[in-house]
Formats: sequence, C-alpha cells, structure tokens
Amino acid sequence: MPVDKQSFEKQVLAVLGSLHGVARRLCGNEAEAEDLVSEAITRAWRSRDDLADPAAFRAWLFRILHNTFVSERRRAHYAHEIAIQLEDEGDEEPRFSLFEQMHQPFLLWFSNPEQEFLDKLLREDLERALAALPEHYRVVVALSDLEELTYAEIATTLEIPIGTVRSRLARARSALQKSLWECARAYGLSPALPGASPDNEKRTLP
Amino acid sequence: MDCEQALAQVFEFIDHELDPHRHEALQAHLHTCKSCFSRAEFERRLKQKLNKLREQSSPDAQARIEKLIKSL
Repeated sequence: MPVDKQSFEKQVLAVLGSLHGVARRLCGNEAEAEDLVSEAITRAWRSRDDLADPAAFRAWLFRILHNTFVSERRRAHYAHEIAIQLEDEGDEEPRFSLFEQMHQPFLLWFSNPEQEFLDKLLREDLERALAALPEHYRVVVALSDLEELTYAEIATTLEIPIGTVRSRLARARSALQKSLWECARAYGLSPALPGASPDNEKRTLP
Repeated sequence: MDCEQALAQVFEFIDHELDPHRHEALQAHLHTCKSCFSRAEFERRLKQKLNKLREQSSPDAQARIEKLIKSL
C-alpha cells in the first residue's frame, strides 16, 4: 500500500524523540545526531515502498537509522562487526551483577544496600555509565531500556537473531552494572560487614 | 523451578518477553523466594531509572523535520 506523505510525517513525528535519543547515544553529540536523523528520514521516505508491514514502521525506521550510522563508518564497521560477532558467539563468561556485589542476605530484614544505591543513583551517573559502554552494547540498552522496543523489534533494527538480542542485552547490562559498581565504590557504598549497624554512615553520599 | 533457573530468566521477565506459561512459573517462584524476588525487583528498578533518560523531541526539532519531509 503506497505511503502518503502526511501519514509518513505523522508516524515519524510520533517516534522523533526516540529517534533523536538513539541517534545521540550512537553519535555522542547533538549535531551529528540531528544530521543522522535527517538522513535516516530521507532514506526512509525514498525506500517507503520497502515497508512490508505498516505496523512495523517503528522498527523499520530504527533499522534505517542504525544502518545509516553504520554505513557512514563502513571501513571501521567491518572490523568492528567481526569483533562483535565473535563476542556474540563466544563462550559464556561470568556475568557481573551489581545486586550480587551489594546484596547481603543476612541483612535482608534490616537494610537493603542495593536498593539504597538505586535511591541515590543520579541521572548523571547513569548517563556517564551508558556513554562509557561500547557502541554495540550502548545501542541495545538504549533500544530496550530507554525506548522500550521488544526483542523482535530490536532484532529487526539491528538485523540480528532474537537469541543474539537476548545474549547481547544480558552482556550489555552486565557491563553497565560493572561501571555502576565503580560509581558505588566512588560514593563509598559497599556491602555491609557482618554485624554492621543499619545506620552505617559509609553508605551516605558526599 | 529452582533459583538458578529463575535468575537465568530474570531479564526476560522484566522485559515482558516470557511466554505466559514461563511467566507464571517464574512469578510463582518469586512469590516464595525473597532473594530472587529482591533480585528481580532490583533489575526492574534499574531498568526504570534508565527509562527516565528517554528524551522527548523539542518543538524546534519537530519543526525542522516537518520542513525536511515537506521538501522530500
């Protein structure tokens, strides 16, 4: 079914914030992100007849955005893609869990250091941790946790199998939590020692 | 379901990606296991905090894109 410009514009504007958000996470700066979004929308309009399922517009547009970003770094991308593929196919490595680092089961009824950390976690801390992730982890966290795409939509966007979405997202979250653990240590937050008081002052932020 | 099985599915659980049968089985485990419940709750809250980083497009950005689309 042909796509008319009015409905195309309406659908684009409905996801524009998300497009900008993901573009900014990919490019790392506002100016490049804006250019990327503009280019992706232009390419999407030109290939509008390729959209088989109108209900999949969002994932299709994100895929064009991601492919536009990747194609603009083609030489670097090739080597990078091989590295990511090897990582996806690699053996399971121990996953880092912030919860496991901080949780003290014997204190369950008295204090909750991991939840306290979340209460104190600043927006800037999360932005910094997200920006520090390698690009292929950053984009999958942005698509899943910020923009709330389903695994199927993320698979369409990144042109990878759903199983790979699952494993890559788990690895990305592990890497993000490792980064946040460093943040927690910098704040002086650490698991309580046995017998410690629930009012342990080490857990307060400066 | 044991804890190892439950924790292996905790991300899919908070992402609402489990089929109804597996979702129900995991939820039943979380009702009885405080440790796994705490873990799932932690992951859910962390995801919620990330979600708040989501951006909205500015009126200027919208106007620029409307102008772009009209020119296509």
